[in-house]
Amino acid sequence: MKDIRKILEEATNGICYDSYKYCADEELKVPTINYEENQSFTLLKDRYGETDTSLKQTKDLTKKAKQLYNSEPLFKFFLDGSRRTYKVDDIEINKRVFPIMAGQIGVACCERINPNKFTCKELENNLALVLPEEANPEIKNPELFFNNLKDKINNTPRVKRTGLKFSTIRSYSSRRNDDSDEIKYENLGIAIIQDEMVDNEKKIVANLTIKNLLNENSYLLKDGSLQYKPMKSGEYKEFSKIKNNYRWVIGVSKLFNPEFSKDRSGKSNAAQLAKLPLFHRTPAYMFQHEREKWSYLGDNTYSVWYVRIREAKHTESPFAGILKIEKILITDNEKENGLESDLVDFITVNIINERNPVCYGKDRRWANHLYPVYLTELFLKSKFLSDIHFLNLF
Amino acid sequence: MKQIGKIIATEKVPTTVDEFYFWTDKELIIKPFDVVKVNHLKNSITFGVVEEISHLTDNSSFLSGFISSDFGDVNYQQYTQRIGMNYVKAKVVGNSQGIFTPVLDGSTVSLASEDDIREALGLKEVKNPLPCGYIEMYEQPDNVIIPVHFNSHFLIGPEGAHLNISGISGLASKTSYAMFLLKAIQDQYLKMSKEESVAIVLINVKGRDLLAIDENNDELTPDDINIYEMLNLNTEPFQNVKYFYPYSKDIISSTYGRDVKSQMERDQAFLYKYIFEDDKESIDLLFSNVDDPNQTMESIVNYIVTGQGGFNGITNWNELLKEVYEHTKAGVSGKDKEITVLSWRKFYRLFRKTIEKTTIFSNSISINPKEKEIRLKEAILNIKKNDVFVIDVAKLDEETQGFVFGDVMRSIYELKLGQANDRNEKDIPSKIIIFIDELNKYASKEVPKSSPILRQLLDITERGRSLGIILFSAEQFKSDIHDRVKGNCATHAYGRTNAIEISKPDYQYVPPVYKSMLTRLKQGEYIIQNPVFRSLLNIKFPKPIYKQFKNG
Repeated sequence: MKDIRKILEEATNGICYDSYKYCADEELKVPTINYEENQSFTLLKDRYGETDTSLKQTKDLTKKAKQLYNSEPLFKFFLDGSRRTYKVDDIEINKRVFPIMAGQIGVACCERINPNKFTCKELENNLALVLPEEANPEIKNPELFFNNLKDKINNTPRVKRTGLKFSTIRSYSSRRNDDSDEIKYENLGIAIIQDEMVDNEKKIVANLTIKNLLNENSYLLKDGSLQYKPMKSGEYKEFSKIKNNYRWVIGVSKLFNPEFSKDRSGKSNAAQLAKLPLFHRTPAYMFQHEREKWSYLGDNTYSVWYVRIREAKHTESPFAGILKIEKILITDNEKENGLESDLVDFITVNIINERNPVCYGKDRRWANHLYPVYLTELFLKSKFLSDIHFLNLF
Repeated sequence: MKQIGKIIATEKVPTTVDEFYFWTDKELIIKPFDVVKVNHLKNSITFGVVEEISHLTDNSSFLSGFISSDFGDVNYQQYTQRIGMNYVKAKVVGNSQGIFTPVLDGSTVSLASEDDIREALGLKEVKNPLPCGYIEMYEQPDNVIIPVHFNSHFLIGPEGAHLNISGISGLASKTSYAMFLLKAIQDQYLKMSKEESVAIVLINVKGRDLLAIDENNDELTPDDINIYEMLNLNTEPFQNVKYFYPYSKDIISSTYGRDVKSQMERDQAFLYKYIFEDDKESIDLLFSNVDDPNQTMESIVNYIVTGQGGFNGITNWNELLKEVYEHTKAGVSGKDKEITVLSWRKFYRLFRKTIEKTTIFSNSISINPKEKEIRLKEAILNIKKNDVFVIDVAKLDEETQGFVFGDVMRSIYELKLGQANDRNEKDIPSKIIIFIDELNKYASKEVPKSSPILRQLLDITERGRSLGIILFSAEQFKSDIHDRVKGNCATHAYGRTNAIEISKPDYQYVPPVYKSMLTRLKQGEYIIQNPVFRSLLNIKFPKPIYKQFKNG
């Protein structure tokens, strides 16, 4: 009976080492990793993220939050993506040794129909395999090669028996590298899996848009940043093409590097942020992709601001309890003048009102977690195969 | 049928041969004793009976709940309710194809149809069906009402016999339930062929409870009558009833009954008496609750009955009393040194108390048919098929009550053994059912082991089945009852009881939720255990069909 490694050896002219298999995620307890790639975005110093340019300090939204207390919540949909990556083997090709990476990718969007009813609206749950580019013996048609390989693997009895299917096989650049951590093959593989996940996220947002589910009364709240790193591959790699899908989407990050939060003059305002009072928000700032590096992607601008939803005295660090909120600027007017300040307030107030219930005791990030997002994440995790199960496919 | 959830089998709580767990929507109304079905291997269906229902959320601690209300704001309302679900523990009661491997994780759980419920609980194709109540399951609009039948061979023999009913006074309505079953039995045997026959002997121990069982209950509502009809029972009260009241000159001083005279005119009521000559052998029954570790009382009774000493030639109770008194004098007991004067004195004290207090011990029986005087034993020895005898002892003192009850049991025993008279066996009812309330008076764990009534009861519960003597008994606290008496009962009915009682070892095999249900059962609700049923059943029964007296 051929197993996956045998097929890989035959297809790639390589030799599998049968080396130790392990889960490559550092934090097993919290499999969702939010990549905060803020470096690739720059603050637009001369521009404001919102229309009210007079706001210099923070803004108290306690009263507004109370006013909207009994109204219909703005957020109807909640999106979260997660992946688990594994190093499943090493393969020797052309006397060089590369890791074989694999991953489970999950993206879920849940709908809150009423306070009591929470259901899954969209789910993408995929298995991916990542090989070095050199795995393809030919120079041409890498896509065809990897697709064929995928079919062969999906047809192995072991995979068939479990009723699973690999949805994609991708490759990472096998350029010789000098072992620096950034371009370690393993990390390259993980990055591909991460890209695949982001692509799935975009797909779900696109689906929701096609189905006309998002509008000004029915927003999508996405866990993590909207500042998508430009991708080299994937169905939705050209973000500018799908940007309009994000008209009613808000990104909320619970983990952010406070060092990257800057005031309008470009100085770090981490210390100011730590002192943000309860239910206050910062002014919205405008961010953009690094112009020089990613100019070919088009002019993507974002409005970014922070809000504190839990009192610092209740949390373990001064930044716990603060959420970073992002919205992509779509219209020309928005790009020019930033978001309407009223809209910024409205979104913020809705997020403040989402603060309960809490997952205290279940998740260490409880102070930053919003419960519907937590539920979506929980749902997603429940769909993953156990590590042992997955690793033993190989 | 309506799907309500799916099986959950986890590492810590697997499904087993005996039980399984499934989740349901938190708003689904389901209750203990409801039957559910699970799709299982080879298209079979596993049936389960709901035991426990729990609701849980992802709240990790109470503190988390407090924090979620904005750190203790009672008015706080949240946009999202915490995720929650119910999970239900069910006991496996069977599989349609006899497959007992545990049900599988993710299998569909649904409500059962009427037919399924019958199959699950063993109510389908019950042989010799005898209505014992009905079960109500599920909530509107899925609710079903199913009549429940015993296999009468397991209630009144020959396969299994004797019924024990327990529950606290009033709320449990023990008498009503026993009477409901007896009514069903009489109904059935009146319809049946002549080969099998039954007679019923009821001991009325309190008030006027059973003194008008052949009269209609005017308070029955059409709903109650519908239930009787659903159970295929007629709505007439008991038939062929005869009442036996303790004799006293004015009648009212020895009974709570008020219609005695008119019943007598209808030839339905009799006054019973005990005559020394014929009944002296029963006087041991008067001492059944007296602690008698050295069996001196027994010796004295024996001494008297065999006519030793001066007891030869005694013809009435007064002479007996006098003779006993003679033995209490110092120095007289010379003839039989084994019995001390002190014992004679004790015997005299107890005996005199009873004889003087009650009026049933008499010198003679009137031969005037209008007086309706009778010896109880004689009446019982002549009991006919389908007869219902109600023997009133309510107003007698405790010792005499025991005496009468013991005497009744003895008479029935003798009748069934064919020792008493030369009646043709065909004319004797093949089964005689005795119903006694407050069994604890005669068969509690505290009753002296030498008690002749206890011995009689043990005899009936252990050997009565084959003789056709069936005991229906009731008491407040089952845990008080002698192990062998209750152990020999094939059918047990548990009515409402209290928390102290359910903490006793008798209930250790009852699941915790059923135990607490026992403390909340409504009037007219019972939990039944019978060898035919695959699990305990929570049944209901209609209001009594015969006349009720509100004030006893």
